[in-house]
Amino acid sequence: MNENNHRVLLEVQKLTRRFPGVLALNNVDFDLRSGEVHALVGENGAGKSTMINILAGVLSPSSGSVLLDGTPIVFHNPADAQHAGISVIFQEFNLVPQLSVAENIFINREPTRNGLIDWEKMNRHSKEALKRLEIDIDPRLPLSSLSVAQQQLVEIARALAFDARVIVMDEPTAALSEHEVDRLLDIARSLAKDGVGVIYVSHKLEEVFKVADRITVMRDGTHILTDSTANLDEDKVIYAMVGRALIHGRCPDRSFGEIVLTVKDLAVEDSVHNVSFELRAGEILGLAGLMGSGATDVIEALFGLRDAKAGEINLQGKALAIDNPRNAIRSRLGYVPDDRNKAGSLPDLSVKQNITIGILGRLRRFFWIDRKQEQGSAETYREKLNVRCSSLNQRISNLSGGNQQKVVLARALAEDCKVLLLAEPTRGVDVGAKAEIYILIDTLVESGLAVLLESSELPEIIRLANRVLVFASGQIRGELTGEEITQESVMALATRV
Amino acid sequence: MIMTKQSKITASANLDWDVLWERYGIAMIVLIGWLAAYFFVPKFSNPDNMLNVIRQSAFVGCAAVGMTFAIISGTFDLSIGSTLALSAYLGLMVVAKTQSIPLAMLTSILTGMAVGVVNGLLITRVKIPAFITTLGMLFIVRGLSFIISKGGEPIRYSGKAFTWWGNGSLFGIPTPFLIFILCALAGWFILTHTSFGRYVFSIGTNSNAAKVAGVPVDKTTTWIFIVVGLFTGISAFLIGSRLYSAGPGLEPGYELNVIAAVVLGGTRLKGGRGSMLGAVAACLLYAIMGNVLNLLHADAFFQRVAVGLVLLLALSIEGIRQRLFERASRRVLPTAKSESNS
Amino acid sequence: MKNFLNKFWKSYSIAVVVLTVGLVLSFLTPRFLKFDNLLNVMTNASLVAIVGLGMTLAIASGNFDLSVGSTAAFAGCIAFSLVPHIGVPASILAGVIAGAVVGLINGLIITELRVPAFIATLGMFTIVRGAALMYTDGKDLTLFGQTGFKVLSGEYLLGIPTPILLAIGIAILLGFMVSQTRFGRHILALGSNFPAAQRSGVPTSRIIWGIFSIVGATAALSGMILSSQVLTANARLATGLELSAIAVVVLGGTALAGGQATMVGTLLGALLIAMINNGLNLLNVPIFYQELTVGVLMLGALAIKMSKGFKLSTLLRRQA
Repeated sequence: MNENNHRVLLEVQKLTRRFPGVLALNNVDFDLRSGEVHALVGENGAGKSTMINILAGVLSPSSGSVLLDGTPIVFHNPADAQHAGISVIFQEFNLVPQLSVAENIFINREPTRNGLIDWEKMNRHSKEALKRLEIDIDPRLPLSSLSVAQQQLVEIARALAFDARVIVMDEPTAALSEHEVDRLLDIARSLAKDGVGVIYVSHKLEEVFKVADRITVMRDGTHILTDSTANLDEDKVIYAMVGRALIHGRCPDRSFGEIVLTVKDLAVEDSVHNVSFELRAGEILGLAGLMGSGATDVIEALFGLRDAKAGEINLQGKALAIDNPRNAIRSRLGYVPDDRNKAGSLPDLSVKQNITIGILGRLRRFFWIDRKQEQGSAETYREKLNVRCSSLNQRISNLSGGNQQKVVLARALAEDCKVLLLAEPTRGVDVGAKAEIYILIDTLVESGLAVLLESSELPEIIRLANRVLVFASGQIRGELTGEEITQESVMALATRV
Repeated sequence: MIMTKQSKITASANLDWDVLWERYGIAMIVLIGWLAAYFFVPKFSNPDNMLNVIRQSAFVGCAAVGMTFAIISGTFDLSIGSTLALSAYLGLMVVAKTQSIPLAMLTSILTGMAVGVVNGLLITRVKIPAFITTLGMLFIVRGLSFIISKGGEPIRYSGKAFTWWGNGSLFGIPTPFLIFILCALAGWFILTHTSFGRYVFSIGTNSNAAKVAGVPVDKTTTWIFIVVGLFTGISAFLIGSRLYSAGPGLEPGYELNVIAAVVLGGTRLKGGRGSMLGAVAACLLYAIMGNVLNLLHADAFFQRVAVGLVLLLALSIEGIRQRLFERASRRVLPTAKSESNS
Repeated sequence: MKNFLNKFWKSYSIAVVVLTVGLVLSFLTPRFLKFDNLLNVMTNASLVAIVGLGMTLAIASGNFDLSVGSTAAFAGCIAFSLVPHIGVPASILAGVIAGAVVGLINGLIITELRVPAFIATLGMFTIVRGAALMYTDGKDLTLFGQTGFKVLSGEYLLGIPTPILLAIGIAILLGFMVSQTRFGRHILALGSNFPAAQRSGVPTSRIIWGIFSIVGATAALSGMILSSQVLTANARLATGLELSAIAVVVLGGTALAGGQATMVGTLLGALLIAMINNGLNLLNVPIFYQELTVGVLMLGALAIKMSKGFKLSTLLRRQA
């Protein structure tokens, strides 16, 4: 580990970034010294991505400044940031699969001789950059022939070839095997030894403690603490990540009915294995985990959005084979997707139409839609969920995030499901609407509904779930019930590698 | 017409204009255009001429009703030009042999629907992009027309009962136009009052969300192409009746005219929103434009250029609006990519 | 062994198909193998191949150009009309420039007005055709006695018809460009992962202008060759060229999704279609079956690719 007496390379002062309805970064201060690996840690939504995007030149700050070597600097586009020596390696790589490794490393800066690409030079420099990372890949190979881990190394090589002085790695080990993770950590350390400043963003605390010189914790867009690794331990970091008053409180006492859903040995594509659990009527089972933990994949597989490679699913004793959402709905499963913009709301349609889209068959009169019945149904659910809109005919895109989410929820309820699958149900929803939705969900379960709740918001899990399965790396790491469920206990299991 | 009543509370001033323009803009332009032509273009105000304009609008119009479905759902059909020719030919063939108008009409319609089935299956089952599928079918169906017509020999039939449909009038209104309006009303009803219509909109506005919500995307898409074929068949019947003949070379560039009319009428290419009223108005506008250019003795060839120009104009409005939107939001990078197909 | 067969099929399938079809045809009609006939086939193939080569670039970048037929006719008209004034070589150059300008306009509409490529070129398809009609007033343009233009189609250089030389030459040129120049590699980048290319600072707009200008120029060449074959230019020539151009690219193996290009494949694809058309002719099949065949071939090839693609994609998923 390096000494912390190198000069300050990159600094961020009072950095703030607003989005409509959300304060993603709130007066954040942060600094990076040359020759150090500085870990940036926090839950989903803590503001890490926003800050990285600003450093990468993808977003501009609402206020505050970025300083490089002590001088303030403004990035108008990603190319500016790259020229300034900042390279960000995102989770979705900026790579072109059908070009060669060398071409990817030198994209848009390919060395030329007489107007033609100087392959020899490019391949040579690429090999050098790759050697610095101690890997031996033939730079002439097409990128698509490499494994994900190797592609990631190509991205890093690109940063090196660019003479980057700051390299930011965003959740770099999400798709890597244990051996590849170790190699990556070694590379991060050796980069730092060469004088590069490395920002290592991750929620896997074991890795963080192995590789980082300093650790910064962010929560809810605010900077919480920064200290050298030697002075910290996992408990302190976890507390900083989650330590907040639980304004929503804990979940109420519930009485449970019979078992409604049984899942045995579920395996989803390549990401999830060995998942088994039971769900009772009147129960809210939480699936907790950080990004990439597999919790979302389980929910999506149950609803037919992902391939279940193995496993049995039983609903009220009947075996289910669900391969698409229509089947799932017919089997009395309801679903509220985690990304309402991508998979939930039908933006050009009205509130009423969004609610009834799944039940149009029921509202039929001869061969057309019975408008009165439709209005009645929609009105019922609007009232039930207290959707605030000036009229049911209003276009859903005009509603606030919270109300839009209620509409998507109403849609699932209208389909009269027995099991409700909720994925991040209050993402992008303000505090007031959140509370309303929680009370709503309470009421629903009281009347016998069974709910599977996937959420990366720990307060939400604590507020709603009476039982929690904690996921990490595609498997269940532990089960917590009742009083055992605390932010620390969940996070401890979720950050296990 | 899709009536999503805008609330006065939440809509900003900009948004109100947006929707008003989308819904009524083209109709207003048609009105203005009509009046301008009435007063400024000699011979336009001749009642026979104006009736002719209305009549003309129907031949593109019926097919436009079907195409509206496709474009609202975010796709489109390039093959209708050939479908038109084939349907018209077969319809004429049947009426020449059997003298039965209903049978001829049915033949044209079924031919269109058959082509639609093939398109739909290729797109949903074999998963070839709509653009290439319908482009390929454009040529395949044209080849079929040539084969059936034994080399491109147009077929003729001038039985009075048959030709009345394209050339006659009912209560003073040209028959094709009445059919057009009926088609438009039927199309409007299906779009706004049936679950199929609702599914069409949902696929166009967010096909992923539609799938998650349980909409039968593949089945609906196939039916959309069948609907396109159906209405194209109706147009084919009317055109065949109007011209007393049909051959493979019928109405070159037809598909572009129809797509242009739909887009001009306010239906966005991206899908999710559409206006049957707009499509009707746009067809009228095109008919007026063609008529005025004729009366002014404009180059016949210039008219073809005009159609293309108007289409590009209508589409660039959408594109320019997108650019302004991107500039307004504070992302640094544009989000659009130069798409090649839907 | 199976792996080897798979790879072999992927890279050389079109060549295998060409050879097979050739064999079948020579069985069905002995006239096929006559030297004159083969030369004819290759000349016809070259005509479509030239515009197909340009189209290969467009498809490799993830775009399409539906206006090539109109551009071809337009350029032919412009060139023919200028011959009496500035002579043959300059007219040919003017034609090519005219095509490039049309292509540039296409590119501008796509990048500046954000109109999707196929719609932009669909609109230009009508506009350019109409412009050609206006320019020629619908009449034919002929060059009596001005045989210099024949150099494009009839004359032989080194004993080989010019179109064939042009096709091969352009294939070499464009193939070289795609594999050895920055511009060429960036074309592939656009098709392979447009957002990544954009975020890496690749000047995507300029590349699109360049691509469509090249497509326009090759379309112009094809159009002028066509006109010179019959010594007549009119605005109605080359209808259907756009389908043939796209078909030869698809048949040749260039993926519709973009990111990769094979010039040799396009040449072979053009050869295949020319052979089949020629064969149909020799077998006295009416001429209009040709368009049908091209359409069926193209969709058939795509259907096969798509069903293969399913297996390929699951293979890729396991690796990632």
